Amino acid sequence: MSTKSTSFLVFINGSIENAEVNDFDELYLRFSYVIGKDWEICSGLEEGTTQIAHKSVQIGSKIVFNFPLEVTFRSTCAHGWPQLVISGYGLDSFGNDIVRGYGTTHIPISPGRHRIRIPLFVPRSSSRFQQFLGWMMGRRPEFVDPKVVTQNAGREMTRVRSHGYVQVVFNVVTKDMESLGYRIQAKHSSLEKQPENNETEHHHS
Amino acid sequence: MTEVHVIGQIVGGSGFPESSLFCKWKVQMGSAWHVIQGHHEGQTQVDDPSDEPIANWCHPIDIHFGTKGLQGWPKFHLQVWHQDAYGRNELYSYGFCHIPVSPGAHEIDCVTWRPKGTLIEELKTQFIGGSSQLKNPDLVSSSAELYKLRTVSMGKVHLRLHIIVRGFDKYGVEF
Repeated sequence: MSTKSTSFLVFINGSIENAEVNDFDELYLRFSYVIGKDWEICSGLEEGTTQIAHKSVQIGSKIVFNFPLEVTFRSTCAHGWPQLVISGYGLDSFGNDIVRGYGTTHIPISPGRHRIRIPLFVPRSSSRFQQFLGWMMGRRPEFVDPKVVTQNAGREMTRVRSHGYVQVVFNVVTKDMESLGYRIQAKHSSLEKQPENNETEHHHS
Repeated sequence: MTEVHVIGQIVGGSGFPESSLFCKWKVQMGSAWHVIQGHHEGQTQVDDPSDEPIANWCHPIDIHFGTKGLQGWPKFHLQVWHQDAYGRNELYSYGFCHIPVSPGAHEIDCVTWRPKGTLIEELKTQFIGGSSQLKNPDLVSSSAELYKLRTVSMGKVHLRLHIIVRGFDKYGVEF
């Protein structure tokens, strides 16, 4: 019954678990996917917004989201593999809605469960004066389109300050990649030990 | 046609004397290889982290190679630069790492070094800034030339790369 397929599917689900940040207590995230021109989203939300989450006095420094992600991609070519883009926002002490950080990661490629710690960073003002002005006016530098963080071009112009992380868990299943000739896992295992502060967990069954 | 996809990120750098860092990267490959899609060189953002001494670059890599042979498997040339408070850039270190050959996910820590100058040059670097650089940066992965250099160890560059290969089965290549 196997017919020769011309495209492959990547099915992912998972969740945005929490954010580890020091400087603020309140945060909400917007997420979207950036995909190459051969790719399309065939089911699931392509962008969304989480709840406005706060830290708890008892549990400490983590802001828990537990926000579900579920999406299916279809493509004919692995180039342009989907990337998750996250941008975080919150209120500053004057009640202005300001950007708290941007982050990005590729969707893991090998099937299985993966936990990824995405660093968050904010663009910095180009001068001290602008920094002061921004603080006075309640406007901080931000990217016009958060998707610039998934691109190679133009990155050399950006100066950022990173603070904190967002933890995301992905479960990944692929379909028809092998029948298109792709190999995404090695038959022969490598002997090198993974580094100790390994950020990605791989559970192959 | 045999193809190799390299997808991932230049995650960041750690273990350097200062942390306001950026990285210039370039992929070098043999004559049997060519880039079908994607950028094969670039420069990351400058990150001045507020909490930990780890510069986070999160720089996306998505390169689609075509190849006619295994020789000259592509490798990354990396240069780490430091940007000071006045926006001046100085070279911190050089490094290279081969793109892994086996398909799957790889976490790579690339160790790096900088050229060691003479005593006068080192003192100049200490007080005025600006460090010794290689005239020909391609030297970093030439095993026949490196013996001429005196170097000092620097920090690590962290990469997370996924490798996908396609069409090698037909030619009996085993991963």
